[in-house]
Amino acid sequence: MITQMNVRGLLFDPYNNAYIVILRDEQNSDMLPIWVGKSEASAISFALENVAPPRPMTHDLMKSILDNVDAKVLSAVVTDLKDNTYYAKIHLWYGDSEYSIDSRPSDAIALALRADAPIFTREEVLQKQSSEELERWLENLKPEDFGKFET
Amino acid sequence: MSVEQNTDLVPLKVHGVLVDPNTDTQIVILRDENNADVLPIWVGTAEGTSIRLALEDVVPPRPMSHDLITSLSTHLGMKISQVVVTDVQNNTYYATVHVSVNGLERTVDSRPSDAIALALRAKCPIYVTQDVLKRRAGDNLEAWLAKLDPKESGSSET
Repeated sequence: MITQMNVRGLLFDPYNNAYIVILRDEQNSDMLPIWVGKSEASAISFALENVAPPRPMTHDLMKSILDNVDAKVLSAVVTDLKDNTYYAKIHLWYGDSEYSIDSRPSDAIALALRADAPIFTREEVLQKQSSEELERWLENLKPEDFGKFET
Repeated sequence: MSVEQNTDLVPLKVHGVLVDPNTDTQIVILRDENNADVLPIWVGTAEGTSIRLALEDVVPPRPMSHDLITSLSTHLGMKISQVVVTDVQNNTYYATVHVSVNGLERTVDSRPSDAIALALRAKCPIYVTQDVLKRRAGDNLEAWLAKLDPKESGSSET
């Protein structure tokens, strides 16, 4: 089973000097926080805010290479969580076949947002990720820690 | 690629990646095969790191963004055949990535940093136009390079 997720926003984690992408299901009952690097976070935030940078960023280039051969991004799926690392797959339609390609979730999300493609997660991943730690962490956050990308 | 274009292109090698300690950016040093011309291109930290990993043949445990582009291309039967630094305007360099698929070559607009990161992974040639090499920014480059402490040159300097 897979669940469709929306990108709810990006938080800055000052303790780890990293960013957290917050994915939520449509009922807002499940949440998946994924820690990402600074450049991946900025790639996601540009897409969330519909900012077109003057020069193509890495994921814009990725999209434009796919567009050039009429390959279509069908979806991004967060498929697994092992040893605190999330795994994802990008599903593409090209020619008359479907392809699925191993990716980090950050790249898959940055590409899916640019292609207006849905983002899913497998339910096992939601079950595996214990949100207890995150909730504790969120309780300690001050409002000013929230990035401007929270929607 | 046509013959007229080719005569105008100079093949370059990635000589190394330097870290500019003053601005926290990185500089990719491209050189022609005779080491006569140098083309330094300032890039972001993420792009510099990606180029460095490719230079050192490091395969990270999970695919980085440029590994993903390479893997997407391979899966779809596309080949990244060459990249070209095509222009420089207001200190910004422009590049194109040439992608061939089913015998047709297409060019995609790119920043040079992404183009170089992809070229190293696809093991395809990197070119610059004669024109850009002549107009390259950095009249003070030699002076600037001379001031750099070798210790700051990064481990990927080759």
